[in-house]
Amino acid sequence: MRKVHNIYKSKKLIKVSLEYDEHSKIINSITITGDFFLYPEETLDALEFNLIGIKLEKDSIKQKVEKCLSGSEAFGFDSESMTDAILGCLKSKQD
Amino acid sequence: MSFKFSKIRILETGYSSGPWNMALDEVLMGSTNYDIPILRLYGWQPPAVSIGYFQSMDEEVDVKKCKQMGIDVVRRITGGGAVLHESELTYSFITKIYPKNIMESYNLICDPVVTCINKLGFNAKFAPLNDITVDNKKVSGNAQTRKKNILLQHGTILLDINVEKMFSVLKIPSEKIKDKMINDVKARVMGLNKTFERVAYYLKESFSEKFVAEIIVDNLAIEETENTQKLANEKYTSDSWNWKM
Repeated sequence: MRKVHNIYKSKKLIKVSLEYDEHSKIINSITITGDFFLYPEETLDALEFNLIGIKLEKDSIKQKVEKCLSGSEAFGFDSESMTDAILGCLKSKQD
Repeated sequence: MSFKFSKIRILETGYSSGPWNMALDEVLMGSTNYDIPILRLYGWQPPAVSIGYFQSMDEEVDVKKCKQMGIDVVRRITGGGAVLHESELTYSFITKIYPKNIMESYNLICDPVVTCINKLGFNAKFAPLNDITVDNKKVSGNAQTRKKNILLQHGTILLDINVEKMFSVLKIPSEKIKDKMINDVKARVMGLNKTFERVAYYLKESFSEKFVAEIIVDNLAIEETENTQKLANEKYTSDSWNWKM
């Protein structure tokens, strides 16, 4: 398992900490924090929960992010920037 | 669509701790008389750092330093960034009647705050999503949440700002850029340099005018005070809430 962290500047900051399997690239755990707004707030918990078991590659992550954020309203980021923030962990140094 | 209320319940709850202040906002959201919106005005004693609902206490705040300096730490039920609450007037507006569109609701509730600041002699503007500026400098930050069809918006009106103190308790990415960040904030944020009482007077007046509402100055009910103390003790001072553990 590899632990990584990424800070991504969208309109607001998105901070992602995640642990993933280096061979399969499957996410084992993920925490997303930041100074953004998201309504309803519980959407973020659902997003984190639904990203576990997902492969760290663009199409899978983007699809899951879009699905989880549908019906919510986000200010400070959008699906695209959230996807980039998560995938940016792959380029970051190990925690 | 215009929003009018026949009355607004005004609560001036004085200076209280961070946990108590956040607990009272939550208690008031669950208040039984929803038909009358509540405008609460308050301050912070001791000073407190509040973090946004989605933020991490460990990532944002030097908690050890806060303890040394006698500063409370607390997580809000609203999003947004970390704030050092010291020289400011904070307000909370709680209502069950509001625009469902989030941008519109910020605009609606920030409008009397803008009016208040302008009555004090400034040229304030609403800066979406959630700021109010004077000459492009932030003087007020606002945040809202909605629970069970009740909207809470709370916001700060800065009376003064101590940027060095703020950066001594908030974590920054690197010490190397600390001076630059301090200068940036000094250039982008300002206090009104007015008294709490004067701002409070015009804020009440502006809300009354905006919503064509009679001001009803009230005190907390015994039950509200008791519930606030309980919630402050059980939730807003707990690691499980503040550290989201």
